[in-house]
Amino acid sequence: MSSDFLLPGQPVPLPKGPLPQLGKGLYIKDSQVRASLVGVPRYEGSTLAITRVRPHPPAPNSVVLGTVTRLSPIQALLSVSVVDGIPLPPGEEFTGVIRSQDVRATEKDKVKIGDCFRGGDVVRGVVISLGDARSYFVTTARNDLGVIFATSEAGHTMEPVSWQEMRCPKTGSIEKRKCAKPEGL
Amino acid sequence: MAQSGFDRRRINGPEESFPPFFEADNSPKSQSIRTTRSPKEIRPIFLQPGLILQANGSAYVETERAKIACAVYGPRQSKNTAYSEKGRLNVEVKFTPFSCERRRAPLRDAEDRSIAVAVQQTLLSSVRLELFPKSTIDVFVVVIEADGIEACIASASVAASTALANAGIEMFGLVVSCAACIIEDDVWLDPTQDEASQAQGVLVFSCMPALGKVTSIWESGQMKPSEALACIDVCEERCSEIHSVVAQALLSATQHQ
Repeated sequence: MSSDFLLPGQPVPLPKGPLPQLGKGLYIKDSQVRASLVGVPRYEGSTLAITRVRPHPPAPNSVVLGTVTRLSPIQALLSVSVVDGIPLPPGEEFTGVIRSQDVRATEKDKVKIGDCFRGGDVVRGVVISLGDARSYFVTTARNDLGVIFATSEAGHTMEPVSWQEMRCPKTGSIEKRKCAKPEGL
Repeated sequence: MAQSGFDRRRINGPEESFPPFFEADNSPKSQSIRTTRSPKEIRPIFLQPGLILQANGSAYVETERAKIACAVYGPRQSKNTAYSEKGRLNVEVKFTPFSCERRRAPLRDAEDRSIAVAVQQTLLSSVRLELFPKSTIDVFVVVIEADGIEACIASASVAASTALANAGIEMFGLVVSCAACIIEDDVWLDPTQDEASQAQGVLVFSCMPALGKVTSIWESGQMKPSEALACIDVCEERCSEIHSVVAQALLSATQHQ
């Protein structure tokens, strides 16, 4: 096994033929494929990569989970704590922004941020761009994206009743949220 | 007593004072010859990745008296900086108060920073920073005991590169580095504090042996071009040996996980 482990800079032994697509942990320099991480390169379909499960910063198209920290009429601020299913170390959160035009796919101009999110809600979103100096731009404009956990004004965990509403099981009050469609339905 | 400057409320010293006498130091300093190793040999290296559990990656390096710990955190979001396509590599070097012969104040001073810049320069071209937009990688080096500043820079870069690999940060290759000095027209490798103080010039050479690329050369003091080239040649040779030490340490650490 030990001979299969590669170190950064070490050439990757490849069978003759066309080069495979290179994924993470590999790079090509002077027409020689080399490793850039410690590990064993493996094929995932047609791409060759060294995979290491470790926290990484958000990139476009990564699915993120975060808590809403601040609301304004034009955007909601998000503290991103999970990127692509991998939790970030405590204290190393990234900040994301959901602009009002990115909340849902239709009737974008009628979106009221206050009717879609509240402070403390846990939101699932997808990163659309690296954004500006401060934050990443996140969208919830998909059925499976939106609020996945919220508490009512009375402090109880609410359950979704439609894609726009959530209900408190104790008081029965209805609050407005942009809900994510639960998985497996 | 009309003596000016006499104050009865304080403890006054004697009226007359004499400088202390020391026995004449007969042994000339340049005679302190290395006994444990030959001039072209380096001190044995102990390298252990992954000792600091809170950090994403870490390494501890010990070469005889010199002891250095290094921790890598991140990539984390860069705060208070402008948007940048590439990531930033932030290196901080700290000396413990008891690390040198003279006690060091726990504040950062100019020397810490110049060493941090030297270490950053050795690492900068090895890290694939284009993969970390808007992010910062923090490298913290703590010098627990120093024995020669140049050897300290060399060990710190080796430790930092090992810690980066341990943290799983993508890089082009492992950086190793080696220090050399010129004493009486001769090349001495890996100088200690005493040897470096006698040297005419000192050089720290850093490279990526896997790629055959030099990342940085840092020189201080006086050195003829031919001497500098001789130093570089010897260092390059030793660097491939240090590289195998680093490779061995990383492989055994990965297999134990």
